[in-house]
Amino acid sequence: METYFLRNEDIFKFYDRIAQDHRLYIPVRVKSLLKPKCDYGFNLPSDDYVAKEYSEVNKEDVAFNEYRCVEPARTFFTYYKEEVCEYFTEEEASAKNIGGFATSSGGKKRRERPLAVAGFKNCDLFSLKIQDYVFLEGVDADPLYQARRENNLIISSDCPNFKEACFCRAFEINPHPIEGFDFNLSSTANGFLVDVASDKARSIYKSIQEIFTPATFGQLSGRSAKRESLIKRLEEHLNHHKIPKKETLQEIVLAGLNSGVWNEQMKTCVECNGCVFMCDTCHCFLLVDEPAGERTKRLRVWDGCLMKNFTRVAGGANPLKLRYQRLRNRYLKKFDFFISNLGYQACCGCGRCIDVCPGRIDIRNILRRLYEEKHLSANTGSH
Amino acid sequence: MKKNIYQPIQAVIENVIQETATIKTYTLKPVSDFSFCTGQFIELAVPNIGEGPFTPSSDPGVKEHIDMTVMNVGCVTGKLHTMKAGDVVGIRGPYGKGYPLDRFKGRDILIVGGGVGLAPLRSLLYSLFSTINDYNKVVLCYGARTSADIVYKYLIPEWSKKEKVQVNVSVDVGDPGWKGNVGLVTTLLQPKLVDIANAVAIVCGPPIMMKFATLKLLDLRFNPQDIYLSMEKNMSCGLGKCGHCRVGKFYACKDGPVFTYEELKDIHDIWD
Repeated sequence: METYFLRNEDIFKFYDRIAQDHRLYIPVRVKSLLKPKCDYGFNLPSDDYVAKEYSEVNKEDVAFNEYRCVEPARTFFTYYKEEVCEYFTEEEASAKNIGGFATSSGGKKRRERPLAVAGFKNCDLFSLKIQDYVFLEGVDADPLYQARRENNLIISSDCPNFKEACFCRAFEINPHPIEGFDFNLSSTANGFLVDVASDKARSIYKSIQEIFTPATFGQLSGRSAKRESLIKRLEEHLNHHKIPKKETLQEIVLAGLNSGVWNEQMKTCVECNGCVFMCDTCHCFLLVDEPAGERTKRLRVWDGCLMKNFTRVAGGANPLKLRYQRLRNRYLKKFDFFISNLGYQACCGCGRCIDVCPGRIDIRNILRRLYEEKHLSANTGSH
Repeated sequence: MKKNIYQPIQAVIENVIQETATIKTYTLKPVSDFSFCTGQFIELAVPNIGEGPFTPSSDPGVKEHIDMTVMNVGCVTGKLHTMKAGDVVGIRGPYGKGYPLDRFKGRDILIVGGGVGLAPLRSLLYSLFSTINDYNKVVLCYGARTSADIVYKYLIPEWSKKEKVQVNVSVDVGDPGWKGNVGLVTTLLQPKLVDIANAVAIVCGPPIMMKFATLKLLDLRFNPQDIYLSMEKNMSCGLGKCGHCRVGKFYACKDGPVFTYEELKDIHDIWD
C-alpha cells in the first residue's frame, strides 16, 4: 500500500475523477440541535453527516466527516426493500436483476455506473465484514449484494474526532482503517494523506497522479501521533461508560439469560425498531411475494428481531412474544451466535442505535449491567 | 450468468389427496430436474401469496414427482388448499441437511411422529424401506389427536405388513370406531420396543410433542446423540442469510433442520 499527499485545493479534482465513472456518494454536514445528554465534560460535537450523491451537492457543502455518517454502510449494498426476482419468468428475471441495479421503470434494462462511497469509517468497514460473511459466504452468495460489492469503490477515512455515542475502541476497533478500503484519507496539515490500497484505486491514482506527491516521513509520523492521541482521548471518554471488554461479551450474555436486565432496559422501548434498521451489522430480511399483474414479484425487505412477528409461524406460535425475549435474542445473535460462528461480535461500536433510540436505551449500559450482574453481584445499582 | 438464489422453479400440481379435514397431500411435478435427500426441506411458493418451508413426504428415490403434505394453518397454506390439479406452484431448494442414514446402519430405528409431523417421516420411511437390510428393525410410533386426524390411513396397513417393520398408532381422544391405543404418543414409547443401547430415535411433530417425546426417550436411557429432532422454524430464505431460524449458534435452515438432542440440549427455550 502506498501513501501520497493530496493538497486541500486538489481534493475536488480527486472526487471529480472518481465521479467520472462512478456514482459517488459523499458526506454532507447536517446541523443538529440535539446535544448529547451527558458527555462527561468532553464537549463533543453533535452535528451529523449524511451521504449524498456528489453530482447533486454544492462543493461548499461537501465535508470531511469527523466520524461515521448517519446511515449504516449496509444501506449501499442491501436496500430496505428491493425486488429480487419475479416468477414465473425465469430467464427474464435473471437477466434483469443480476449484475446490475434493477430498474423497474418502463422495463428498460439500464446498468448504472458502479458505486463509490466516501466517508466510511473503520466501524463501517468492520461491519461490512459481517455483511460479507452473511451475503457472500455459506450455502450460496446473494447475487445482488455480490454484484454491488464487487463493483464498488470505498474511500474510507480516519476519524479526527468522535461522537458521544461512539465506542469502537471498547471492542478494540480503531477509529482509523488499515484494511478493507480502496482509498483511505487522513486529514493532515494543508491536505490529506491518501492510502492507495487496491488495483482499482491504483489505476485511478495513475490517471491523476500529477495532483499527488509522495507522503513524507514527517507527515506519516504526524498521522501516527494523531491517531494515537485520538485513541487515548476516546478511551478516556469510554472509561466513564465502563463497557465490558470484548473477551467477556459472550460469557456475560449467556450468563444473563434469566437476568432482569432485559426487562428493566426495555421499559422505555416503543418498538420503533430504529436500533435494528440503523444497525451497521444487522442483516435480517424477509422474502415477501406480491402480485404484479400476471406474475408475482418477490421482494427482499429488511426485517428486525425486535419486531413482534419476527419469529411468528403460520399456526400462530411465536417463541419471541415478549419484548424482553426479543432484546435478549438480539444480544444472543450479536454476541453469542456471531462470536461462535465468526470469531467476533456483530457490533462495531458505531453507536447509531444509541443516537436513534427515542427511549434512550443504550447498548453500552446494557452490556455494563450484564457484566455487573455476572461479576459484581453486590453492586447492581443502575447508572 | 450467476444463479438467482431466490428464484423458484415451476411445479405443476398433479394430484391432491384429502388426508384429514385440514391436511392435504399434493403431488407436484417440477418442470426441471429437482431432487432432495430425505429430511431436507424446500420453499414452496404459492403465486401472489408467498412461500413457506415444507419437507417433502415422498420417496427421494422417485425423481419424477414430489409429494408435499400440508396442513391449512395460514395464508400460504390456506390458498394452497384451494388449489387443484393442473395449478402451478413454485419450489426452491432443497435446503438443509437431511437425516444421516449412514449413522442409522446396523441399528434399531424408532420413529416418533405427531400429527402432520408424519410427513417428513414418511419420506424417511420410504428411504429406510428401500435399504431395509441395512437396519435391524424399524418401529413407527405415531400419534394423532383423533382417529379422523390420522394421515396416510390408507398406507399404514401396508407398512405394518413389511418385514422388520412395526407400526403403532395412538390417538389422544378415542371414539367408538377406534380400536387402537388411546393416549398421547409418549404412551407408546415402552422400554421393550427397541434395543435402546443400539437404537436411534427420530422425532417430528409439534414442539410440545417433541419436548415430551424427547424427555420420555431420555427416561428410557436413549443417548442425547441418538435422538434426532426436526427443528422447523419460520425459515424465509433457506440459505442462512435472513436470520429468522436461529437456534443457539445454529441456523435451522442450513445446519438443520435435523439436529441431535446433544447439539440442542444446552440451548435455552428450544421447545418454544
